[in-house]
Amino acid sequence: MKRPINRAYTLLAVGLTAVTVGLFACQGGNGSAVGAGDMASAAQAVYVAPGEYDEFYAFMSGGFSGQLTVMGLPSGRLLKQVPVFSQFPENGWGYSEETKAMLETSHGFVPWDDAHHPELSMTDGVPDGRWIFINGNNTPRVARIDLSTFETTEILEIPNSAGNHGSPFITPDSRYLVASTRFSVPIPNRDMSIEEYKGNFKGTLSFVRADTPKEMEIAFQILMPGYDYDLAHAGKGPSDGWMFFTSYNTEEEHTLLEVTASRRDKDFVAAVNYRRAEECIASGAGTETPADYRHNYFNDDHIAVSERVNSVLVIEPSDCSDLVYFLPTPKSPHGVDVDPSGEYIVAGGKLATVIPVHSFSKMLAAIEAEDYEDVVEGIPVIRYESVIAGEVANAGLGPLHTEFDGRGYAYTTAFITSEIVKWEIGTWQVVDRIPVYYSVGHLMIPGGDSREPEGKYLVALNKITKDRYLPTGPELAHSAQLIDISGDRMRLLLDFPTQGEPHYAQGIPAEKVMNNQVQFYSLEENTHPRAAKSPAETRVVREGNEVHVYMIASRSHFTPDNIEGVRIGDEVFFHVTNVEQDWDVPHGFATMGANTAELLIMPGETRTLTWVPQEPGIYPFYCTDFCSALHQEMQGYLRVSPRNANVPLRWGIGGEWQTQQ
Amino acid sequence: MMTKGSRILVLVAALALGLVYVLPVWRISLEAPQYPEGLGMVIQIDDIVGEKPHDLNNINNLNHYIGMKRIVPESIPELVFMPMILGGLILLGVAAAVLGRRWFLYGWIALFVAVSVVGLADFWKWEYDYGHNLDQETAAIQIPGMSYQPPLIGSRQILNFTAHSWPGSGGWIAILAAMLGVGVAAYEFRRGRSGKEGIAPAEKAPSRAPPAQGSAPMAVVGLLAAAFAMSACGEPEPRALAYGSESCAHCHMGLADESHGAELLLRTGKAYPFDSVECLVGYLIQNDADPAIHSLWVTDFSDPGTLIRATEAHYLQSAVLDSPMGLGLTAFARPEDRDGAVNAFGGTAMNWEEVRTWVETQWPEGVSAHGVSHRRAERDSHATAES
Repeated sequence: MKRPINRAYTLLAVGLTAVTVGLFACQGGNGSAVGAGDMASAAQAVYVAPGEYDEFYAFMSGGFSGQLTVMGLPSGRLLKQVPVFSQFPENGWGYSEETKAMLETSHGFVPWDDAHHPELSMTDGVPDGRWIFINGNNTPRVARIDLSTFETTEILEIPNSAGNHGSPFITPDSRYLVASTRFSVPIPNRDMSIEEYKGNFKGTLSFVRADTPKEMEIAFQILMPGYDYDLAHAGKGPSDGWMFFTSYNTEEEHTLLEVTASRRDKDFVAAVNYRRAEECIASGAGTETPADYRHNYFNDDHIAVSERVNSVLVIEPSDCSDLVYFLPTPKSPHGVDVDPSGEYIVAGGKLATVIPVHSFSKMLAAIEAEDYEDVVEGIPVIRYESVIAGEVANAGLGPLHTEFDGRGYAYTTAFITSEIVKWEIGTWQVVDRIPVYYSVGHLMIPGGDSREPEGKYLVALNKITKDRYLPTGPELAHSAQLIDISGDRMRLLLDFPTQGEPHYAQGIPAEKVMNNQVQFYSLEENTHPRAAKSPAETRVVREGNEVHVYMIASRSHFTPDNIEGVRIGDEVFFHVTNVEQDWDVPHGFATMGANTAELLIMPGETRTLTWVPQEPGIYPFYCTDFCSALHQEMQGYLRVSPRNANVPLRWGIGGEWQTQQ
Repeated sequence: MMTKGSRILVLVAALALGLVYVLPVWRISLEAPQYPEGLGMVIQIDDIVGEKPHDLNNINNLNHYIGMKRIVPESIPELVFMPMILGGLILLGVAAAVLGRRWFLYGWIALFVAVSVVGLADFWKWEYDYGHNLDQETAAIQIPGMSYQPPLIGSRQILNFTAHSWPGSGGWIAILAAMLGVGVAAYEFRRGRSGKEGIAPAEKAPSRAPPAQGSAPMAVVGLLAAAFAMSACGEPEPRALAYGSESCAHCHMGLADESHGAELLLRTGKAYPFDSVECLVGYLIQNDADPAIHSLWVTDFSDPGTLIRATEAHYLQSAVLDSPMGLGLTAFARPEDRDGAVNAFGGTAMNWEEVRTWVETQWPEGVSAHGVSHRRAERDSHATAES
């Protein structure tokens, strides 16, 4: 009789149970449905067999590491970290006497910087593999790295600048690289109220002669309105002779820029005719202005020297007509990139909903017709409609940077929507898009900013890593992703971690670099004044309270390896020469308690470690780079005696003691 | 007087509402590529908190770019008086059960439904306010005409985020309690009209009808509850393919043949439509190793419009039974249907892996060697020419 009701209650109970189960046990698996076959094909595309070489060198900026990372593509393998602006205890960069001067600035010794944009030297608009340059953002500097030794050989400080962000973009002939100031500041810098920013704070666009090693110099600086100058790229082909810079904060605000500098609908791309600057200067324009900055470079003895420079040539747009034009560009543009033909100038408006593409030929026509909408501090502002070639719609949110594949397509990163968008030059239509993980900043196609891109791979340089690798606590390696762009559709191949924070990167076919490598320095050509090139030249010399040790490192001993007669109060200089003449036989040198880093001495090279002993005793030193079967035997002792001791200065090896003559 | 069963059910419904004090009423979750772990906020009867400890702060931080007001629970008065209203509803529900009076039950359920409707309308108003009243002075990102209102219920793409808004477990319990109350009220209403009032249970006619009638609302409530339970999961679900209006994500041709079709579902819930199994595989060949993929779906030939998991489907490769892109691939949910098709049309039975291999051999680069041209494209162009 009661059965139907019971059935109803049973149904109700089942239903409520289902609800409970549904609500509390709802965590389904998040499995990926991608087949093993596709993974295998991606793996095959990036596999570089043992002993084989990668197809491309990739140079990734180290960002807040201040260094440059060299990786191979397509494998994503780490090849080297090149110290540039930051001390590097691993090889003594910035610690050894021969390299300290490289980090000298007008502010004194600055052992760190924020390195954003590597830029390969170019010949005829194509990367040539001679040098790579990189900017120091925090204390404005640019550095040259020699790609035959992968060593930083020259650093030039940029005066009248603050935040050297738009740098070191190079001209197609490597004649100039540029340095634009991200912060406008009083020029010359002085004590004044921040609230008096407008009209008093200025920006500078510096053109640095870059084509001769050891002779980097600022050819001229253009004094600009007080905006933030962000990034740059040189023209090429028809636009050769022009340099394009993005600017934001044309509002000239000095506080809460995230709000105040986002107000205007359009900021500017500054188009600079640098050949015109040369003409103006030749006819007497520009003012040699007092300044104080440093030029550091390796001299002929392979020792860094720091030279003081006392003036810079400053030119104002009002002194030189036709030098600078402003192209209105939507919403705080970040990257500015010139297509391989040199006709199109693409700017990524961080907050814009379209990617504007300017036309160089339309720009020239507008200049010819004086089709201006405004003139700002003597700089004509060309009408947007007169210079724009097209706008790419649906290009993702937060477009930042664009590179090219040489087949008529452009690739733009969209930071907010975390994707790379491929679009066609000319039709301005998006043809493909691919998600990246996560929040991509720059992208790099080898040669992708040059006249001849190698349109095979694209590297996405992502800002956020989160769950892409095994977790490593709060700080995670920044992630790069390799994408195959050889087909119609982009294809994600590989994730790989990087060092520091790569902002921009450069890539170049391996053969342009690998065939001109220095394997070791010629001992015969070593002109270091403290070098000991043979056991006969080894010695210990007291010069007042300085003790200079002229030492040789060879497999598997130091000469001398026993030293006595050092006293408290002395400063000891170990000048260690690696006399090997063979590839990949560096020796290391370290001594107990030294308040510095080790030395890593390349074959044929002399490097100096300074040590001030604090307590009497016996101090061991040894080779830190496993050099041979008897590497562990490569060691020695130095005796330190009290301040007033009468222990004679003597040194030796194998029981043969020598003394100062 | 209400029956004992009805009074018990009303008591259960009223007391179940007590759980709403401790369980989340509503959930708004946000998904974006750079938030693989998701971001979300939970609306409780008296508070708004993050799904994870700092989510609310992170959401407020993101919202400042678009000029949205900060979500500050302390400034929302509803969070103060809603707990009192809920307490009142519980007390009145208990009273209805204790008194057993129908009019009291009707009054209670009417009040309950009214409170729910007003509450949802108020929630929508808050969402509208947050989504539309943006600070134009401070917003860094301003897109003309764009609003950021999350859906009241369901999912919506807002810039780079997909916003999902669904009742939480407390919300579902409230919904179920309301349904239970309505069901009991309906039952009591019918009972009252059929003149059963006043007849003592012992004197009840030995008919099975009244209890059978009474079982109906309860069974409905139970089944609805089960249906809700199944739909309440957060897992992305495939959506129906829009034949005639959307185009294939791989070959870019319009979806027309309803007995063929496929869908690729991302973890974010975003779905890519395909006109055929071969286009789905072709897309995978060109976009392999994409960890954003959640699942793959294909249309069941025997039941057009129904999507089934691609990895579990049974396939026919046939030269006779054509498929939109010409590789003759057809999917079936049931193996017997597929085997029947093999008998009827001839061809080869395949599983998913075999289908992938077949497409890879036919389209090594993921596309036909002749580009996208194929029989249906020709048919389409004929049709256009004729019209």
